[in-house]
Amino acid sequence: MHEMQVVKIKKIIKETKRIKTFILDLDVSAIPGQFVMVWLPGVDEKPMSVSYTKGDLGITVLRLGDFTRRLFELSPGDMLGIRGPMGRGFKVYGDKLLLVGGGVGVAPLAPLAEEALAEGKEVTAIIGAITKSELLFVDRIEKAGGRVLISTDDGSAGKKGFTTDVLRELLEEETFDQCFTCGPEIMMAKVLDITREKKIPTQASLHRYFKCGIGICGQCVLDGIGLRVCKEGPTFRDKELRKSPEFGRYWRNAAGQKIYFGGKK
Amino acid sequence: MLDVEFAGLKLNNPTVLASGILGTTGAALLRVARNGAGAVVAKSCGIVPREGHPNPTVIEIEQGILNAVGLSNPGVEEFAKEIKIALQGGVPVIASVYGFRVEDYAAAARILADAGVAAIELNLSCPNVEKVGALFGADAELALEVVREVKRAVSLPVFAKLTANVGDIVEIAKACEEGGADGVTAINTLKAMAIDIRAKTPLLGNKVGGLSGPCIKPIALRCVYEIAQEVDIPVMGCGGVTTGKDAVEYLMAGAQAVQIGTGVLTRGLSVFRKVALEIQEFLEERGYSCVDDIVGLALK
Ligand SMILES: Cc1cc2nc3c(=O)[nH]c(=O)nc-3n(C[C@H](O)[C@H](O)[C@H](O)COP(=O)(O)OP(=O)(O)OC[C@H]3O[C@@H](n4cnc5c(N)ncnc54)[C@H](O)[C@@H]3O)c2cc1C
Ligand SMILES: Cc1cc2nc3c(=O)[nH]c(=O)nc-3n(C[C@H](O)[C@H](O)[C@H](O)COP(=O)(O)O)c2cc1C
Ligand code: FES
Repeated sequence: MHEMQVVKIKKIIKETKRIKTFILDLDVSAIPGQFVMVWLPGVDEKPMSVSYTKGDLGITVLRLGDFTRRLFELSPGDMLGIRGPMGRGFKVYGDKLLLVGGGVGVAPLAPLAEEALAEGKEVTAIIGAITKSELLFVDRIEKAGGRVLISTDDGSAGKKGFTTDVLRELLEEETFDQCFTCGPEIMMAKVLDITREKKIPTQASLHRYFKCGIGICGQCVLDGIGLRVCKEGPTFRDKELRKSPEFGRYWRNAAGQKIYFGGKK
Repeated sequence: MLDVEFAGLKLNNPTVLASGILGTTGAALLRVARNGAGAVVAKSCGIVPREGHPNPTVIEIEQGILNAVGLSNPGVEEFAKEIKIALQGGVPVIASVYGFRVEDYAAAARILADAGVAAIELNLSCPNVEKVGALFGADAELALEVVREVKRAVSLPVFAKLTANVGDIVEIAKACEEGGADGVTAINTLKAMAIDIRAKTPLLGNKVGGLSGPCIKPIALRCVYEIAQEVDIPVMGCGGVTTGKDAVEYLMAGAQAVQIGTGVLTRGLSVFRKVALEIQEFLEERGYSCVDDIVGLALK
């Protein structure tokens, strides 16, 4: 049972102009890729990936709409409601790992990198953002001993272009046991196409509108495969996602209406 | 041995998915059908899209589940497409409709009937949305009118889903029967709330909502028991069914099928297969040859 726990915010770290990490007074361990439901009493409750999985739990948030704007107004000592950690985390079995993260999508990949590196695995992370100052967790992954390759949309750091451009080049020369990706869904769909050609098993962390977060309301079920993102996910295997006509194409809003990525049908 | 006929619908076992649990898309309904449900009821749907209430919309509390989803749905036109996907599951698909006016129920029912559903369940009982619950399920005359209008609009079996948040549920059931209902479902969630004492606020986004799970079973069972004695149309029992024993209790109280909602959380999607198997074990152990043999045994 996932009861609501109201806990104090211990520390807030400003990661970029639009991204903050909230370290909570909640000592539970999570598997990278799992999420918590974050409740701002009287406002709303939304899913957030766990970005610090050992010791005090942490989440890393991009300021986007009303809910995240209200989160950004909080200070250490303020309270947040937490349900979880919940869902299926990433499953690591290989020794040479490739991570591809776009924007705030790096949040669940950073603890994965740290844990894998601590176990003596080899980690290469491709991290992308719109511009240099929005790059997330580059130092954190490097400090843990990982290799980081960078792309920015405007070319202010690393390669000018997308993570998938870096990925394509990298896979011309090297191969990996496993790939893990999180970020904009169109990016993840491209990552899956590329790693499929190179036969690298890939897991992706999906983002859907969540209501219950516990697998009972049906809001987050993927078409074609009937899997619940909040329960059987949020991380999925490439072979599962390829069977869903929804992946990379559309999601459903709070009313359950289909919204196509990039506005096209 | 587990086959039952409910108001003309042929179910391969008496377990039915309750409305609002997973049934928001065709893919989800299909998955439940493939997990052994004898029939599935889709999420309640209205004539126009609705976002529902802000989160938290569903929370686990010590006693069960509280929800105030707020009848979110993409509107009946969009939802009809989901129904068509659900039909591939090979079990009867029952649509659930709600409305703010009598004619809304009829209009939504007509479109869903065209999509191919086997029956229509009327949500006269949602405790989370002002007017939908209070108005129709608590007033015998209004309930009768909704049933009659929907029966006029479609040539399918129509079931009235009732609330126990009323003085006399039997009176409402009788009115629905008089209006032409082919069956009743009892009960919807019970109006309830929880407060977080650290945050000093209600937990649900909508503040109040509906309680479900094993804690409401004794109340729901009593409702079924009372209704079954007073009406001639079949009753679906709903509230807290988690095991075969729960289902058998409902059957003995006069229900001819049971709906399962919260049980999906506690026992997983295989709850339908498990409960059906447990009913079968009970029947075999006691030497009964079919489900009908035990329906209403406790009424005598
Ligand atoms: C499993 C999971 C893990 C998540 N982890 C994180 C995380 O680690 N960090 C983080 O910052 N966010 C994460 N999210 C997203 C988060 O839950 C919110 O959706 C997001 O923060 C927007 O909230 P908001 O209310 O501020 O913005 P809103 O007001 O809801 O939206 C602002 C804009 O964002 C867009 N948008 C909103 N929701 C979606 C959506 N579901 N899909 C596509 N576009 C959308 C819309 O265009 C909207 O106009 C995660 C989501 C899921 C399902
Ligand atoms: C998350 C959730 C959503 C629900 N949505 C609806 C709905 O849309 N329409 C409806 O008639 N009942 C709805 N219900 C009520 C259930 O169908 C059922 O009557 C109730 O949960 C009692 O059964 P249970 O104890 O087996 O869950 C909902 C219940 C839950 C928990
Ligand atoms: S959010 Fe309710 S089933 Fe996933």
